[in-house]
Amino acid sequence: MNDSNDNERDQRDERDERVPLHERRRPWWHWRRVARSRPRLAVIMAVTGALVGALLGGAGVAWRAEAGPFADDRACWGALGQDDVAELFGGKRDIRTSEVPITTDRIGAEGPSGACRLTSPRGRRITVQAHQLDARFGGAGDRWADEFLSARLTPLGDGLLGMASDTRAWLAVPDGCIGRPSESDIDVGPTVIDLDTGWTVYDDEVDTEARDALARAVVKLVNHYMADQGCTGTIADPGRRMAGPPLFRDEKEDSMCGIKGLRLPAAFAHEGRGGAVVTRGDGPVRTCDRGVLFGHPGLRLMTIEDPRLAVLYDRLSRDGAKGRVSAGEQDGYGFVRDDMGLFQAECQTGQVTFLVRAEDGDHPGDIRTLLPRYVAAEADRIGCGPLRVTLPADG
Amino acid sequence: MKQLMGGVRRRAVLVGGAVAALVVAGVGTWATDTWPFEGKDTYCWDAWKEDSGPDFLSGDALDGDNARRTSKETAPTPRRQRGRCTVALRSERTDSDYDKVEEETEITVTYGPAPEGAAPRMEWIGGYLGDRAMPLPDGLPGATDGRHALLVLPKGCDTRDGRPTAVTLDSTARSDYGDTTISADAGLGGSQSVARLLVAVANRAMEKAGCAPAKPLEVVSPMATLPEDEEDFFTRACRIRGLEFGKDAARDLEYQVGAVTRDLQSCSVRTQSGEGRYFDALMVSQPRLSALFDGATGSKAPARGWRGTGVFADDYKVVRADCAGRPLTVLMLAPSPHETTPYFAAFADAVARRVGCAPVAPGGTGR
Repeated sequence: MNDSNDNERDQRDERDERVPLHERRRPWWHWRRVARSRPRLAVIMAVTGALVGALLGGAGVAWRAEAGPFADDRACWGALGQDDVAELFGGKRDIRTSEVPITTDRIGAEGPSGACRLTSPRGRRITVQAHQLDARFGGAGDRWADEFLSARLTPLGDGLLGMASDTRAWLAVPDGCIGRPSESDIDVGPTVIDLDTGWTVYDDEVDTEARDALARAVVKLVNHYMADQGCTGTIADPGRRMAGPPLFRDEKEDSMCGIKGLRLPAAFAHEGRGGAVVTRGDGPVRTCDRGVLFGHPGLRLMTIEDPRLAVLYDRLSRDGAKGRVSAGEQDGYGFVRDDMGLFQAECQTGQVTFLVRAEDGDHPGDIRTLLPRYVAAEADRIGCGPLRVTLPADG
Repeated sequence: MKQLMGGVRRRAVLVGGAVAALVVAGVGTWATDTWPFEGKDTYCWDAWKEDSGPDFLSGDALDGDNARRTSKETAPTPRRQRGRCTVALRSERTDSDYDKVEEETEITVTYGPAPEGAAPRMEWIGGYLGDRAMPLPDGLPGATDGRHALLVLPKGCDTRDGRPTAVTLDSTARSDYGDTTISADAGLGGSQSVARLLVAVANRAMEKAGCAPAKPLEVVSPMATLPEDEEDFFTRACRIRGLEFGKDAARDLEYQVGAVTRDLQSCSVRTQSGEGRYFDALMVSQPRLSALFDGATGSKAPARGWRGTGVFADDYKVVRADCAGRPLTVLMLAPSPHETTPYFAAFADAVARRVGCAPVAPGGTGR
């Protein structure tokens, strides 16, 4: 065996050296011609090695720095991939994004905050905000509630503190990840991520497909935020477990907003701005909006069951010394005035907000009539009954 | 040369060379911590791996002086449906005053049925489901407060006499300063992490016991809600009508509201700083958790006018009644000196009313 191998090699070596013409017949760039001698081969190897090394190194740096072909094309703090963004814009892929990173101010007074904006060249925009809801100093809690707790939104279900419609979605970061908001900061609400598509919708019908896309996006954003915080949980796609969108209610005269025994005041029955929309599905919030114009309801009846969200109305409920309503000694606080009535109840589950609010003070009598009945009926529904509130003397 | 080397010697050299190569390779893989010498220990029937999440499993936990992590385990088998495993972590460090501090952490997992005797069983249930415990995510029948946890296993693991089997997790941690000992954090990483540790160990234990379900149990979702803080300024405990305390009595007390869901609710009243118990009240309605009470709730009403069946013993009171097709069990653990029956009645009726059921206690209408 060995002998025959050696013979073959010898023969080949002989051929290579003895037939230079054969070599010359190859084109000049042929590797055998180029690497004719050992030093030349060494130089070639070194140059090639250096080039390959530089390419690999450069690629590595680019990858680490997320530059060039490795640029991070994920939007909103890396939470949404291109497909996720496309889903929010009806499949369009030319969406520009800009963002402010989620950071916490140095003394932690306002919790984490950040923003992200997705803009389509056709004009549609989605604004994503991460922030801690704040009811202090006349904070934006009530205005936020106007839009994000509207009856057009449906709870995400599964015990989550979050809701979605085709134009708005929000979800609180679960306690298990960042802890429960401290009760010593009484006016500090949950940390939420919300999406706002910025259009005013004149249509009460909610487009379920668009709603589910927003719901999915807000869940992805919160999941990504949790992963950033080093938390292990993942919230599942809420689409399948969410209730259908809210419907126009055919109200009977004595069951306003579907609440038996609650009579619809005549003044609100004939405003001619459409009927009532009521939140569908079990969840942290049940709202009944009526006569919505530019996103603001003419009359809203709202119950907030989750104490972490009801805290938005805590400070307000202790205001309005003039029109204090009374209830059982430790049942809660509230007031009634010309345009609104509010009762913040102490239920077994924690604070619960009952709100009756008109856009103006034109019908103070109706607010006074509605508040105690609404509180009693809703308290029974959510297991906080019996709850009887008494109005202050008219004045 | 060839002639000199006999066949036997040649084979010996070959074998020797092969062994040497294996040893060298083995030392190499061991030194670089690669398979199969990963250098990662596993605990509790291989359910937990070193460096896999919570602090108490991390390599850093062993950075202190004389630090060591030890474990003991007895696996359940198809014939012996009981198991136990313990992971202990001990280390020493020097504090800012150059005093020696000994730190001790111990995590114990138990696999087996609830205690058989009624009184110890009530304490056992109350210990895992009451106080600050919140339900596990993804509808798993169990609860955790981040330090203790309980999970009731699927029916396939029930004992022969029909009692459910549970996996429990307990932790203790303390820092010993020589003259004083203070309790410390066991490094389990919070409720969400405990839920994962518990489910991982439950799956392994069920495999060993031969009753693992086709699809392993899984916890994916986060814990949506954690309990509120304890409250020490009050006259009505846990916002429940009827749990009223005089101003003087309440001065030294605090209350803690735990879970308040359709499946589980708890309210503890205790002396401030959490030492003495006044009472621990609990409602359980989740069917698998409810099964823990099976056989211990008596066969007749505990006293005149009560709905359902129950037992009023010295240390505890328990009543089970139907609530919209599900058994609703209310339990109150209280040392005998206090007269707590009115509180128990108030709690039972308030909770029944909250979840939409008829009163359980006599004459009950309240919330």
